[in-house]
Amino acid sequence: MNAMESETSAIARGLRRRDPELLDRLIEQYQHRLLRYLISLTGNRELAEDLFQETWIRVLERGHQYDGRHEFSTWLYAVARNLAIDYLRKKKPVSLDLLMEDEEHAPFEPADTRPLAWEQVAQRQQAESVGVTLGGLPAEYREVIGLRFQDELSLEEIAVVTGAPLGTVKSRLYRALNLLMTRLGRTQA
Amino acid sequence: MMRNVHDEARELISLGEALPEEQQARLRAHLQECADCREYEEAAGRMVRGLRSQPLAADSTLVRETQLRVRARALELRQQRERRWLVCLSCLFVGLSAAITTPLLWRGFEWVGAWAGVSKWVWEAGFSYFWIAPALAVSVLLAAHGTHLTNNHNGDRQWR
Repeated sequence: MNAMESETSAIARGLRRRDPELLDRLIEQYQHRLLRYLISLTGNRELAEDLFQETWIRVLERGHQYDGRHEFSTWLYAVARNLAIDYLRKKKPVSLDLLMEDEEHAPFEPADTRPLAWEQVAQRQQAESVGVTLGGLPAEYREVIGLRFQDELSLEEIAVVTGAPLGTVKSRLYRALNLLMTRLGRTQA
Repeated sequence: MMRNVHDEARELISLGEALPEEQQARLRAHLQECADCREYEEAAGRMVRGLRSQPLAADSTLVRETQLRVRARALELRQQRERRWLVCLSCLFVGLSAAITTPLLWRGFEWVGAWAGVSKWVWEAGFSYFWIAPALAVSVLLAAHGTHLTNNHNGDRQWR
């Protein structure tokens, strides 16, 4: 058994016991990643903070369902995603997937590959501008970009979290990156 | 329709550093020849660096509140589980004691019936009533308690 497996099975055992110390530690360990993921899903910090709390309550209640065979973060994201979808379904009679389906209908915009002027601007400004542009993308694009490039999940893990086939994840990532680069190019042109 | 070689290269670039050796080699070869795709790769790299340096943090109040809520809910779940255990144990105890005392009680009623000179139907009816009376009393009490709770909830709602 390798280190990752022993850690995930220790988490699974702790969740079955509903160990409060373990939960405190997990909340601290995953606070930024989970909140960022929820913001990328909902596009709203306040709602993301509510869902953040609900996600951990759900982890406590359904912790026995985590078997320790996958990374804990993958399972955590799937729990958070289901909660967000449930919330959006209750709020509006459409699902998150439907909300994000404009990906299929959105015209494909080839990326603008002109040299960007942002080599000259500070790192912070770059990050801010990327963040603002990212916020304007459809939720499904924000989700895959966040999972791949910020949380550094593998493509297979993203497929598990989103419940989408691997091929769909790849094409969604490609379209998302293209759209983000195009819009960044426009704002900085 | 044949896929454009540039589209294919850009799709590989968008997947990040997760490519098998063979695809990486193909991509490297294409990038050496194609300046546009090289530019695309550099732009994508800059953007990913920008994404990774995003300052986004959960504030400590949110974390503390979440930890407190989770602990409170854990306590609630533990209490619920303990109550369930208590109910299960009570049921077991009642079942066992009923299994042990019912034959004795039956004989007692039979003896009292013979001593008082009443018919078999009378002491059997008395036994049935005696046997069922505690359960009836508890049901009535629980039903009343339930109604009382429901009234309280309604009261709460009216105040809100």
